[in-house]
Amino acid sequence: MGRSLTDFTVFVLKRLLQLIPVLLGITILTFVFTHLSAKNVCNAWFPHADPTTIANCNARVSQPIVNQYWTYLTDLLHGNWGASVQGVAVYPQIAAGVPATLELVLSALFLMIVIGIPLGVIAAQSAGRWGDHLVRIFYLSGWATPTYLGAVLAAVFVAPYFGLPSHGEYATNPPPFPQYTHMSVLDALLAGNLAWTGDAISHLILPAATLAFINMGIATRMTRSSMLEVIPLDYVKSARMKGLSEFWVMYKHALRNSLITTTTVLGLTAGGLLAGTVVIEEVFGWPGVGAFAFTAIGGGGSPPNFDGAIAVVAVFAVGVVVANLIADILYGLLDPRVDWR
Amino acid sequence: MSEPVVQIQNLSIDYVIGAGRFRAVSGVSFDVPQGHVVGIVGETGCGKSTLAQAIPRLLPEPPATIGEGSVIFRGTDLVQVPLWKMPRIRGTGINMIFQEPLNSLNPAFRIYDQVAEAIHIRRVRERGNLVVDRREKPPFDYSRRPTATSGEALTRSVLPPVAAEKAARHRTDSDGTIRGEVLDYLRLVRINDPETILNLYPHELSGGMRQRVMIAMALSEKPELLIADEPTSALDVTIQAQVLTLMKELIEEVHTSILFISHDLGVIAETADELGVMYAGKLVEFGPVAELFEHPRHPYTKALLGAAPTRYKSEGPLATIAGNVPNLSHPPSGCRFHPRCPIARPRCTVMPGPPLELVAGASEGHRSACYFPEEVASIP
Repeated sequence: MGRSLTDFTVFVLKRLLQLIPVLLGITILTFVFTHLSAKNVCNAWFPHADPTTIANCNARVSQPIVNQYWTYLTDLLHGNWGASVQGVAVYPQIAAGVPATLELVLSALFLMIVIGIPLGVIAAQSAGRWGDHLVRIFYLSGWATPTYLGAVLAAVFVAPYFGLPSHGEYATNPPPFPQYTHMSVLDALLAGNLAWTGDAISHLILPAATLAFINMGIATRMTRSSMLEVIPLDYVKSARMKGLSEFWVMYKHALRNSLITTTTVLGLTAGGLLAGTVVIEEVFGWPGVGAFAFTAIGGGGSPPNFDGAIAVVAVFAVGVVVANLIADILYGLLDPRVDWR
Repeated sequence: MSEPVVQIQNLSIDYVIGAGRFRAVSGVSFDVPQGHVVGIVGETGCGKSTLAQAIPRLLPEPPATIGEGSVIFRGTDLVQVPLWKMPRIRGTGINMIFQEPLNSLNPAFRIYDQVAEAIHIRRVRERGNLVVDRREKPPFDYSRRPTATSGEALTRSVLPPVAAEKAARHRTDSDGTIRGEVLDYLRLVRINDPETILNLYPHELSGGMRQRVMIAMALSEKPELLIADEPTSALDVTIQAQVLTLMKELIEEVHTSILFISHDLGVIAETADELGVMYAGKLVEFGPVAELFEHPRHPYTKALLGAAPTRYKSEGPLATIAGNVPNLSHPPSGCRFHPRCPIARPRCTVMPGPPLELVAGASEGHRSACYFPEEVASIP
């Protein structure tokens, strides 16, 4: 059996090693594209930078692109993630943004799991009847909503209706306590301040719910279809024959097996969730890497920040790979038949 | 004679698929007497599995619907019980062993968890929380160690006669914990070192082992009626023989009332007390198993017995029944067996099939759905 701890460790290490080629490829692609996007990168900086910066820039750009990439990569490996035109270093912004984005994405994922999966079970139980149709209308309307539209509608109409804040992490920025983790709710909890924790949660609800609503369809749909495959099987019948109530038959015996497929699909939504943060964070003023990406590519009239853009794409790539690795690990834990080798 | 465990009266089950509707089981009536093994045989597609699953209301409704009839269990008609109340009857009341041991254990849970869950359900009910009829299942004190003497004293003094008999027949040597009881039931189905498989998953066991676990799981709930839906059909022949031997031994030891569904006459002959023969959704003959084998009173039973291969008759082609199983969406007119029947007369093709009636001159309880039961013996 390939289910020993050694097999598992080898499996995880192999998958982490795959990160190296992925990151090389992604940085090369974004590096090339950002440098192709403007004929003269240094001119794009022109109104915002002083002559020496532009002179330095021109000196760099006159080199062959392979050399430029090599310089960028060696800088990156030495911990220098580059800087914006104004000389603001990229790394501290990414470091502060990643936890905030992680908080948002994990909250959205949480909502997708606790709402989307039971909805899928309900849809499967009432397949072809009105419960199924209602659920389908619900998740398809989320799926069909463009992220920017959903975010704006939520911020403009839903927020005042429920009296929820629609901008930032806290009522005041910065909050009156140190931000150790840059995860708003966690920081408030660490500060031991329940009032601010509540405030942080109320700020988190709308962006997380919008992100979840838009991406939830896939979880609901996968749960529904895999439940429909599992329900007619004999082991569901034998669970019924034990005398278990329908609730336990569904949520213990059937769902446990359906989750195996749903987990994989949830891993695949990581890309969609991260891409969604670019718009969601900008609309809701959430200080994560998504909002940073928006400004880095010149959104809102800001000068493009090529080093920042490459860094964000690389961070997102790591996020997607790690999310799928976690999904695969969960898959193996949920399905005892999976061999780690 | 005590009241039968389950009485099936004129039960009909329809499948509605699209605009089509066909009757998979029509007008089946029989009883499973207390402590008896009733076998139901028939060809593939004759409705025997549908019948088995309809008793605990396990059929997906829709597409299946119970057209008419009743299933009387514990004095209530299960057909009238709303589906959400059925879990209280399943498990400790009626339990089931399925055909495919590969699929009937949940692949995601360890053996221990699956058997322990069944025992847990039974214990909760025995404590009286979910008991439908309190007279049948009195609370059982699990804090006491049921050693042989204390267990016997308990069954004699505290419990009413029926329950005392039940407690006695299922008494095991467990130390009172669920784990102890899981091990007991696994030993009961002749798994020699049950400790070694407790933490395994179903896919790590062979088919025969899985079916043993399945049987242990069903028995551990001490059901009043156990339905075995072709429990040996999906196994290799050698494993079949082992599981069958086990079933026979358990029938002796456990004395549960069993409804044994099979297409294998040999299996039924070795296990059942009464036998019902189904053809095209109808019960065509029912009676004591020896009587049915020796003096069949329905031409289909006769043909079925003739078609069963025996090791003494190994030469020449296997006997078959001419013709095909009828399509249930367009069943033949009259008696459903008439197109294949050697003694069919004009009335058999026109008159609706005769009801299952006691055969004059046959032994007690022998019923046949043939107009000419006395002529069956003369079929070559």
